Amino acid sequence: MEAFGVVLAAALSVGLPALATAWAQSRIGPAIAASMAEKPELTTTAILMIAIPETMVILGFVVAVLILFRGAA
Amino acid sequence: MIIEMARLRIFGPRDRLGDVFDVLQDLGVMHLAEPGAPAPGVSSVELTTAQRREQRQLRRALDHVDRALAGLGLRAGPAVRAAPRGTRSDFARWARLGWRVRRAVDRLAAREAALQEERALILKYQQFFGAFRALLESQSRWPSATAYHVLLRSGETEALIRLRGSLRELIGDAFELYSQPLPSGEIALLIVVAAPAAPQVERILAQARVQEIPVPVSYGGGALTEAIPRMLARLSDLPTELDAVRRERARLGQEHGAELRRGRAGLADRLAELDALPLSSVTARAFVIEGWAPARTRPTIEQRLAAGFGDAVVVTEVGKEDWASEDAPVVLSNPRLFRPFELLIRLLPLPRYGTIDPTPFVAVFFPAFFGLMVGDIGYGLLLGVLALVLRRRSRPGSTLRSAAEIAGACAVFTVLAGALFGELFGDLGRRWLGLHPIAFNREEALIPFLILAVSLGAVHVVLGLALGVAANIRHHPRHALGRGMSLAMLIAIICALLATVHVLPDALVTPAVIVLLVAFPVLIFAEGVVAPIELLSMVGNVLSYARIMALGVASVMLAVVANRMVGAIGSVAVGVVFALLFHLVNFAIALFSPTIHALRLHYVEFFGKFYSPGGVRYQPFGHWTREATR
Repeated sequence: MEAFGVVLAAALSVGLPALATAWAQSRIGPAIAASMAEKPELTTTAILMIAIPETMVILGFVVAVLILFRGAA
Repeated sequence: MIIEMARLRIFGPRDRLGDVFDVLQDLGVMHLAEPGAPAPGVSSVELTTAQRREQRQLRRALDHVDRALAGLGLRAGPAVRAAPRGTRSDFARWARLGWRVRRAVDRLAAREAALQEERALILKYQQFFGAFRALLESQSRWPSATAYHVLLRSGETEALIRLRGSLRELIGDAFELYSQPLPSGEIALLIVVAAPAAPQVERILAQARVQEIPVPVSYGGGALTEAIPRMLARLSDLPTELDAVRRERARLGQEHGAELRRGRAGLADRLAELDALPLSSVTARAFVIEGWAPARTRPTIEQRLAAGFGDAVVVTEVGKEDWASEDAPVVLSNPRLFRPFELLIRLLPLPRYGTIDPTPFVAVFFPAFFGLMVGDIGYGLLLGVLALVLRRRSRPGSTLRSAAEIAGACAVFTVLAGALFGELFGDLGRRWLGLHPIAFNREEALIPFLILAVSLGAVHVVLGLALGVAANIRHHPRHALGRGMSLAMLIAIICALLATVHVLPDALVTPAVIVLLVAFPVLIFAEGVVAPIELLSMVGNVLSYARIMALGVASVMLAVVANRMVGAIGSVAVGVVFALLFHLVNFAIALFSPTIHALRLHYVEFFGKFYSPGGVRYQPFGHWTREATR
């Protein structure tokens, strides 16, 4: 049961931020695509805007790894 | 680095202004500055009515020449300089030539488009005729009927059913509808209706918005059977006519291409001179020109002007205290090895003059981060091959060449990291070649990899803060103090954390806390009350480098999954194909994702500490070259 809890916690810690990232990118993507159609010089900003929400899922992944390792220990 | 600029002021007799501009244009190093506030007796040069008219004529002529060159496919030709300087009769000749060739090229382009269109139309009819040959040849047997030829796009079978239903509803059985799929995927329809019902059918076709293809009048109109032989005869003539158009274009290019290029350069040079004239100031007898030039070119400018005008023209340098550094144009100059990475800096606004050019740091850290994320000898070698191919296909100095060289550096670091982690196409090297990791195995040692990534982040952010101190210490000492305090506190936090987990001696905790307590009020004094929030965000910045580990682990796991497909799927051959496809997908991901994240780590986490954007682009007054228009 405890092992299940550890795995569930790890899954949630990566899954929930993944959903949040997906939602954020779904809003940013069309907006930045529209902006770039008018101002191609915004390409760099577009790269940053797309990459910024990914921090959430990356940190979630790190937390998941830590949870799994602590669970295993 | 950003090269040192000197602000130069050139004085001379007013009647030599044009000649001095000629010399400056030949030198091509001076970035002309807007004239300053007017002084008594000094005014900016205003173009005369004749010069303004000449400016308009030159712009028009340039447009003709440009469009002629583009029409001849000669825009990508080698850079040409107009030497010697064009005369008035040259400008008039180039303008006439540009206009004449442009008209000829436009005519040829229109002719070519019409021929291509005609060819496409005949091919469409040819397919249609092939589909209904027998029926169309019997058209003479139904003289009181009208035939409609219709094309439906592929997959529009429902439209066909609706059309048949509408026809039946409206005219009962007084029609025949034949359909045939064409090789292009479209569906050809032949609808034969009794002549009295024709107007109703036309209305239905219009409502259904289907593509009707009536027999073109140019082929006689009427029956398709009569028009088709004429069309086929024409089809065999078209390639010859198209060839003639291409030959004519090539002849024009051969005959006039070189002169048009010379004209392009000559016209642009004269236009640049006229555009530059209002940037100079004059008194009743003298002129003054101000501008920026790389400091090392000052002796050359002085020598050339002295050689041309003797003591009549004088060059002086404006003292640094008399100009604002943000007005000076910026030229990045880096060693050959680092130069391609200027491309990544140019994606952002240029750094201000007098601040730090981050190119050398990007040249070291960008490929290192990329390499750690991909970290596979096999992928690194593939990327290296790709970089070599791109390099061979690109022109020196082009964006593609820089991208290829950056890819090459990334490939080298990827191979090195792959050797550190013992990875060749995931775990294939370990299983087949007995490859062993020099540092650690990324599949299992996640925590060491995380520590490595965050440590690199700490080094990168600390370096950014140190550069922030260096960049601000002269002009913004208070800001530099704030950056310094942030740096000290970040190092103290790192030391305290490492000491608490016994990586560093426990005795370091107390000094670290003392540093934090002392630095905190100084930080608030220097940067204001938002400084603690910024400090916290810096800790977040360091943790953000965990993405190196996350993407690295994702990359190796995908490669391992690809390798396991060989055993997981029944047939070995199918498994190998799937594995190769999966590796290809992983390689494609490895090209994009690590690039974006390595860029982000630089632009947000690193540059945020010291980068000062808003530099003016260096645009020296010189002769036109193709590079100058990029």
